[in-house]
Amino acid sequence: MHIQAEENAIVPVRLFRINTGSCNGCDVELAVTSAVTEFDVEQLGCRYTEAAREADILLITGPLTVRAREEVLRLYAETPQDKVTVAVGVCPVSGGVFRDSYAVDGPLERHLPVDVNIPGCPPRPQALLAGIAEALELRRARREGGAPVRRALPVDNFPARGRLSYDAGSCVDCRICRHVCAAGAIRFEEGETGVSLTLWHNSCVFCGLCSHYCPTGALSVTGDWRLDHPAADAFRQVERGEVPYAPCVGCGEPIIPAAPQLLHAAFRRPNPDIERLKSLCPACRQQMSIGVPRR
Amino acid sequence: MSDCINLTSEIRERGPGGGGRDGFEACVAAALVCAAGEETEVLWCQDRKGVLTGWCRLPSGGSLLPAARAVAELDGRLAMVTAYLPERAREKGEREIAYHFDLDGATLTLTVILPLQWARVPSLTAIFRNCDWQERELMELYDVQVVGHPDPRRLFLDHSLPHAPFERLVPYSTFTNAATGKVLWDKVLAGEREEP
Amino acid sequence: MSTKLIELGPHQLALEEPMYFRVKLEGDRVADLDVLPGQVHRGMEHLVMRRNFYQNITLLERLCSLCSNSHPSTFCAAVEEVAGITIPERAEYLRAVADEIKRIASHLFCCAVQANVIGETALFRRVMEVREIMQRAKEAIYGNRMDLAANVIGGVRYDLSVEGAAYLARQMEAMKQPLDELYLQYSNNPALLVRMAGVGVLPRAAAREYAVVGPVARGCGIDYDVRKKSPYGAYDRLEFEVAVQEGGDVRARNLVRLAEARQSVSLIEQCLAQLPAGPLCADTLPEIPAGEAIAKSEAPRGELMYYLRTDGSDMPVRLKWRVPSYMNWDALKVMLKGEPVANIPLIVNSIDPCIACTDR
Ligand code: SF4
Ligand code: SF4
Repeated sequence: MHIQAEENAIVPVRLFRINTGSCNGCDVELAVTSAVTEFDVEQLGCRYTEAAREADILLITGPLTVRAREEVLRLYAETPQDKVTVAVGVCPVSGGVFRDSYAVDGPLERHLPVDVNIPGCPPRPQALLAGIAEALELRRARREGGAPVRRALPVDNFPARGRLSYDAGSCVDCRICRHVCAAGAIRFEEGETGVSLTLWHNSCVFCGLCSHYCPTGALSVTGDWRLDHPAADAFRQVERGEVPYAPCVGCGEPIIPAAPQLLHAAFRRPNPDIERLKSLCPACRQQMSIGVPRR
Repeated sequence: MSDCINLTSEIRERGPGGGGRDGFEACVAAALVCAAGEETEVLWCQDRKGVLTGWCRLPSGGSLLPAARAVAELDGRLAMVTAYLPERAREKGEREIAYHFDLDGATLTLTVILPLQWARVPSLTAIFRNCDWQERELMELYDVQVVGHPDPRRLFLDHSLPHAPFERLVPYSTFTNAATGKVLWDKVLAGEREEP
Repeated sequence: MSTKLIELGPHQLALEEPMYFRVKLEGDRVADLDVLPGQVHRGMEHLVMRRNFYQNITLLERLCSLCSNSHPSTFCAAVEEVAGITIPERAEYLRAVADEIKRIASHLFCCAVQANVIGETALFRRVMEVREIMQRAKEAIYGNRMDLAANVIGGVRYDLSVEGAAYLARQMEAMKQPLDELYLQYSNNPALLVRMAGVGVLPRAAAREYAVVGPVARGCGIDYDVRKKSPYGAYDRLEFEVAVQEGGDVRARNLVRLAEARQSVSLIEQCLAQLPAGPLCADTLPEIPAGEAIAKSEAPRGELMYYLRTDGSDMPVRLKWRVPSYMNWDALKVMLKGEPVANIPLIVNSIDPCIACTDR
């Protein structure tokens, strides 16, 4: 991939990195954007600096540990007022898998303002470049006035693990996805009309374990990795769907009907009797199976 | 004591990989009995690939030092130290520390049982230099005093954090600064409702 | 001679991760040092006791991205030992493939960073470009360039189709010539020899005393590799020689790494050739009884050990692990003693320091 810089700045935009206690995944991928030609930030008219006071764009990784906080804030104080701050990976935004540890003091926004988020765990270099491009655009808009423009990127069809997608139509409300999710990225809420699932992309670490254990394929991993967004939209980066209640055909209690996929997984060829099971509540199902005449 | 020394040279020859599994196990058992007393028993398990893992619960805290010395005599390498609160630790008023050693590919674990309150163990740093960090770490994470440690400063834990976080079996959200997850999720769910 | 204390951090030492040192100098030579870890302490051993076994697979993969596959695979091996699960043969091979792919990428990253530290920028970029072949292969097969998500309790959750295996075989073919060339460079290139040979020496006796493992130990002539000493998974059916060097210096450690990377290519080829048909996973949602187990593996930096204790619930009572980097820090005292200040960044990077692993 090669992103063409719109105006080839004569003075390169300087990037400065701070690691707040990451697993080093994001950092090693950032190293790639200074070492590998295909992903070099040079193509965006940028270069890395080792001096905080030169930071035009500040790239922050990691969940912010208690121990790192002091040094992070000291370095941050050295950076110029008008820099653009980018949270790299999901760790700084939500803590990722480390959230709620005694040793973690994030999210980063509690301590300093963030402008752009680049979800991913770690984001692939293409996503890092896209996010840096977004930061550059924000920087340009701030200096010249006007609104930042989101640029389209060349798509590649590489099978990268990207955003999760959710199909409420095949969900059976078994909640195994929430059970196996290390990042606490999935929430179920019981509402008036049904059960809704919310998956927050800024918490998700794109491991795909939920879709691996999902019995019906309601959750699936997509190849959509372009997830950079203004930090103000952080909480709107969600996948959501509702599984509506339907009355039990036996007694009328509101229930979550079983998805056809589940029946097909359980019984190879469901017959009409089995099909009827899916619209019965557990109590009626039991009654039906006990009451069914022995053949 | 001379018996023990003979055993040492024997184990060097046989080793767990040397084919003489029974001989190896007997050597280790004899060395530990010699050091830690008659009641010391090692339970060996061999996995499908032939790798040996030995488990030994030491009869008393006092036998840790001599047992560790015996393992060092056998050319053992200290691999790891695990402190933990076993199941029903409160009820029994007990805690345990497991010392894992490598014996040329076989793993031997010596476990000491200590009181839950006022637990003390001798430092093994004089025998195994690399026990230094292992002990510094267990001292900051658990309420255990390591007697004779040359440098008992905190290692990984920030000074602003309370001592011995691993002693607390209460849900962590109540002792971290904020239940971050809940705060964030409230915003995620609220952000959603704003949408048209 | 004047004695003074200096503090060095990630920016002075060209480290990707935050780690601090207090160095005592006599004149311009290192006399002693105090290692100050903890910046990346995320309380992970505490977190794992509050998460179930499934969640811990993903959590542990994020302990450190450079050896990210070693953690979930060794953890799963411990769980399987407690539960008495025998994983399918195909899964054993696929775990080895994932581990060896990560080993090549990890070793190359370490060698690249050292080239950068001594100002060999062209070589740095060259090694990183070679490493990209592995990065691309990881993304093509697993969907991510760092975290493979290959393991589940009871086996693996990825497969190699016939085309996938053929693709990986081609990537391995493409690695051979560059790896051979890099080995020669790190072995004979005069510019590298001047900086790396005889520098940061760890004598073998000290290596034993400090209990170091992995390439740091093997660079001192210690013939120890968990894949041979305590075979696990598919390794009892794979052929390779333990890479050992005698020098104990920076050069020796790198030669061990590059020889191992080349062997990993051969190990992956052997896996592809032997890959048996069959299931990927033993049982998708097994019960985990009460018990305790130890599992070990040879991670890129050396022996990795996990201890797991369970009580029949779906969360560990205790999960403890010791990473290979843990002992290396102390051994730096020996390697740095008497060295000029200018050599500190190179020597520190020559142990392939992993701070995320160390601090947990
Ligand atoms: S976002 Fe993921 S890859 Fe990045 S530092 Fe956090 S855990 Fe590591
Ligand atoms: S992919 Fe699924 S299981 Fe993994 S972090 Fe995201 S939501 Fe959780």
